[in-house]
Amino acid sequence: MPAPKAVALLTQPLSIAVVAILALLAAGELLSPGFASPRQIVTLLTIAALLGVVAAGQNLVILGGREGIDLSVGGIISFAAFLAGNIMQQQDAYLAQALLIVLCVSFLIGLTTGLGVTLLHIPPLVMTLGMLGVVQGGLVLLTRGVPSGRAAPTLSRIVSEPILFGLPGILFIWILVGVALTLVLRRTTFGFNVYAIGTNEPAAALAGVPVRRTRALLFALSGLLSGLTGILLLGYTEYVFVGAGDQYMLPSIIAVVIGGTSLAGGSGGYVGTMAGAIVLVLLQSILTTLNIPPFGRQIVFGVTLLGLMLLYGRQRRLRG
Amino acid sequence: MPVLEASGVRKQFGGVVALAGAQFALETGEVHALIGSNGCGKSTLCKIIAGSVAADAGSLLLDGRPVSFAGPRQAAAAGIGVFYQELSVIREMTVAENIYLGREPRNRVGMLDREALEAAVAAALSQFGEVLGAGVHPRTRVGDLSADQSQLVEILKVLAANPRIIIFDEATAALDRNQVTVVFQRIRTLKAEGRSVIFITHRMDEVFEIADRVTVMRNGATVFTCALAQTTRDALVGAMVGGAVVRAGRERRHVPSEAIALEVENLTSAKLAGVSFRLRRGEIVGLGGLHGQGQSELLRALFGATPLRSGAVRVGGETLDPRGPRAVMRRSIAYVSGDRGRYGVMAIRPIFENLVISLLARDRRWTVARQRLEGEISPFIERLKLKFSSLRAAVSELSGGNQQKVVLGRWLATRPSVLLLDDPTKGIDIQTKEDLYATMDELCSQGVAILLHSSDDEELLAVADRVLVFNGGQVMGELSGEQRTRFALYQAAYASKHPA
Amino acid sequence: MAAVVFLVLCTVNAVLQPTFLRFGVAASNVAAFLPMALVAVGQTYVVLASDIDLSAGAIVSLVNVVVVSIIDGMGGSGTSMALGLAAGLTLGLTCGVVNGLCVAYLRFQPIVTTFATGIVFAGFALWVLPEAGRQVPPALYLTYAGSVLGVPTVVWILAAAIAFAAIVARTRFYQALRATGGNMQAAYQTGVPVARVRLGAYTISGLFAALAAFALVGETASGDPLIGGALTLSSVTAVVLGGTALRGCVGGVTGSILGAFILGLISNVIFFAQLPFEWQGLIQGLIILTALAGGVVMARGRQD
Repeated sequence: MPAPKAVALLTQPLSIAVVAILALLAAGELLSPGFASPRQIVTLLTIAALLGVVAAGQNLVILGGREGIDLSVGGIISFAAFLAGNIMQQQDAYLAQALLIVLCVSFLIGLTTGLGVTLLHIPPLVMTLGMLGVVQGGLVLLTRGVPSGRAAPTLSRIVSEPILFGLPGILFIWILVGVALTLVLRRTTFGFNVYAIGTNEPAAALAGVPVRRTRALLFALSGLLSGLTGILLLGYTEYVFVGAGDQYMLPSIIAVVIGGTSLAGGSGGYVGTMAGAIVLVLLQSILTTLNIPPFGRQIVFGVTLLGLMLLYGRQRRLRG
Repeated sequence: MPVLEASGVRKQFGGVVALAGAQFALETGEVHALIGSNGCGKSTLCKIIAGSVAADAGSLLLDGRPVSFAGPRQAAAAGIGVFYQELSVIREMTVAENIYLGREPRNRVGMLDREALEAAVAAALSQFGEVLGAGVHPRTRVGDLSADQSQLVEILKVLAANPRIIIFDEATAALDRNQVTVVFQRIRTLKAEGRSVIFITHRMDEVFEIADRVTVMRNGATVFTCALAQTTRDALVGAMVGGAVVRAGRERRHVPSEAIALEVENLTSAKLAGVSFRLRRGEIVGLGGLHGQGQSELLRALFGATPLRSGAVRVGGETLDPRGPRAVMRRSIAYVSGDRGRYGVMAIRPIFENLVISLLARDRRWTVARQRLEGEISPFIERLKLKFSSLRAAVSELSGGNQQKVVLGRWLATRPSVLLLDDPTKGIDIQTKEDLYATMDELCSQGVAILLHSSDDEELLAVADRVLVFNGGQVMGELSGEQRTRFALYQAAYASKHPA
Repeated sequence: MAAVVFLVLCTVNAVLQPTFLRFGVAASNVAAFLPMALVAVGQTYVVLASDIDLSAGAIVSLVNVVVVSIIDGMGGSGTSMALGLAAGLTLGLTCGVVNGLCVAYLRFQPIVTTFATGIVFAGFALWVLPEAGRQVPPALYLTYAGSVLGVPTVVWILAAAIAFAAIVARTRFYQALRATGGNMQAAYQTGVPVARVRLGAYTISGLFAALAAFALVGETASGDPLIGGALTLSSVTAVVLGGTALRGCVGGVTGSILGAFILGLISNVIFFAQLPFEWQGLIQGLIILTALAGGVVMARGRQD
């Protein structure tokens, strides 16, 4: 039965996202010749990589179900970027130390969120919003409202300069994150447990899955990946203003949804999310090309997300 | 002319056929019993009549005129009231708020009249008088009531709407004999007022006591309808089970050994009132009695899924603390629920993931070695005769019976020595049941011990070596050898007090 | 519980700030907390139905800039004020209806949906007024800051909100709302018009967001497209602090108003405790997180 198979393939979220990427590239090239030039594409992919890495954490939390969502990612990104910049102080000697400390701190912030969600049963929405307030407050305490710290030269070089085939290092880091996450989800016990608790938590618990540990770890990993994004962002822009991470909160959720991960949890994966991040960045770029002001982009974003809800995010009917 | 007539009603949930052409007619002023085994489609038929489930096909006539309800609201407006088996009360709201939900008395300016509401509810509650038990007032939160009290509140809620057609779906399940008597008096009054009643129950006595006619359902279809005066228990039971009766004398290859696999001493919990017994290796012990008397509770508590208050559990002579499923499974104990949708399958995930999830939990390895795992599960796929297109297909594509085999297979792959089966054949087809019985027999001949709860009494008597009869969270009798008959089972089940 | 915290905070505040109990200071505190309290009142109805409105703050921003733009654009006459407020009210209600239709009728997941509509509303706010500015005539903000019959206007508004809540609490709609939040399936089977009820709750939330926007116009006398941003989180926080369970059914508006005042008093206390400014954000964040966790845990304890 080739025909139904082809139809099924075409209606897969991933296929839709890929088609959307090609369509957006074509539209961009039509509107502004040079939009789809290799150089430009590399720039777009670099921006998409930053979004893609935080969306990886968001993706994990959403896969775990029970209204999983992480609204603290933006705060952690800003916090991590600030912390990293201040430890490095533009010196390569402190790079490793900075990476280690920042990743540990972000992991611990996420773990705290996860423990609040699992042990105290605080809804993720509330818990992550509360954590966002704490992280932002902590950032103000450390910065006193004044941005400071700069990236180590090596970090900037790795992130933005071509290192192989003319591609910047951040793309390889993103691919590495993608491969690692996909392997974790498909080839490890943890990954199987994530899908199990996201689909049917009571059944998973009765099948012997360590539900709490798994869910807490999801939030911790989301913290870790947000921290990594903060470091990459620092490397990309060399220094970071205080609210730099805020712009990632919403797009990280949208990228996951575009990529076909169900908001109900338990289905989807990271490859789709990577495509979703590219779609978003392309869309944003086209809107910029069209000279649409920021509010217009915002409106288009919101409406896009609502459209996606129509496709994927609908809830069960009350009538059987 | 019947007041209500349903014909050719079909309904499918996912891949599972719930109703395959049901015919049903309700006369004015009659009590019409609807009986059949678990999962035969009674509740689905009632929900279609009540508008809360949409039929795939079929017609519904009310007073001879075709009707099509958009939802329960429209059905209620047409005079249909339903007692839902799973109850439709809001636990966080009070008794008064629940009974008059959507029909609250209002004063002249349209505001709720709480005094009138509570007075009306107090009057309604007084109908039940003594049998209501202590602690039920209009302002009591329904979540604070006991199971039987909640059921009585649901009954009052249905009656408060003044319906002319009333569906009671297992309205007496948690009630004791005195409560049932009062409810039946009420039903007789309703009948005298010219109202019509559809009555679903699992207790045959009640059918003969209250109903005028009976319709028997089997596998999603109505089998026949007749007046109760013209039939017998045996005829009805025969119609329910159809040709394929599982007989008490079925062939058994396993022989229980003397070694004790599981020993339980004086277990108490929210729903268990001191349960003690021993399970030997290679033995199947059945947990029987009326529905919801602590059988499921015992199995779930043993597996650590619900907390115990006191008591001791020993596995192979050593103490077990059932503090959670993971702690219990480490002692080579497995639990399979018949409530597949809620407690069994991860429906949208592939069959493979569903089959290996417990193995992964047992092995505590980091990585998933697909080939090795496929090797570990394949003998059980064969033994259970599991049918599927691909291991990558979603479990939801399977029939209910095959889904149940997946859940069982998941646990068999961990090679348990004690198997806790909680109504595992609920709503699955006869062939699958036979496959499961054969597997259980084979497991026992290899020394596995099985604790089996079943809501199907015939099955329990046929499969188990001994049957413990539960009532009110206690073991009220034990049947073994030649005593394993329905008669003895019902005698023990009804032997003592009803649930409090 | 919320009442106890409220009284403790009042005491602490009075100790730290001796003028706290003076009439003028108390009135200005009410004026400062009023917008958050109003948004929290609207949010309560949505949460009682076990939904959530993450667009409330954006609606506040949008209504705020639209009202100010209309009044300023039309020269600040009496007619312009009436027209501006009427337009703002209609707009708030419309935003609420949009949310309700998406969630209740199109069956979108509430969290992400209202998140998305919030983004759209905030985008429109930036479109109408890209930067804070414009003016409203003194008549408007002087009335807001002044008194009517010897009682400050803001107290009248608060009293009106409480009266509204008291009336709603005695309607069939309110019972239906709680039933929907308590067990949506059971409510549906009982014949409760679940979709209509959820739509109603979102509409009320839109209405109160509009009222909060009016209060902010009176308070600041100008328009700001970002003014509502923080109100979404604080309204949810106030609702949870006030004892309304996020899973619905349990709670009420009075608690949410108390919750909003508690949040305001926390800021006050932190300010008057003369903590270094850079500590204030963190301390406030920690207190709120602790309070939220405490509120959720307490609510669960009651249920069990």
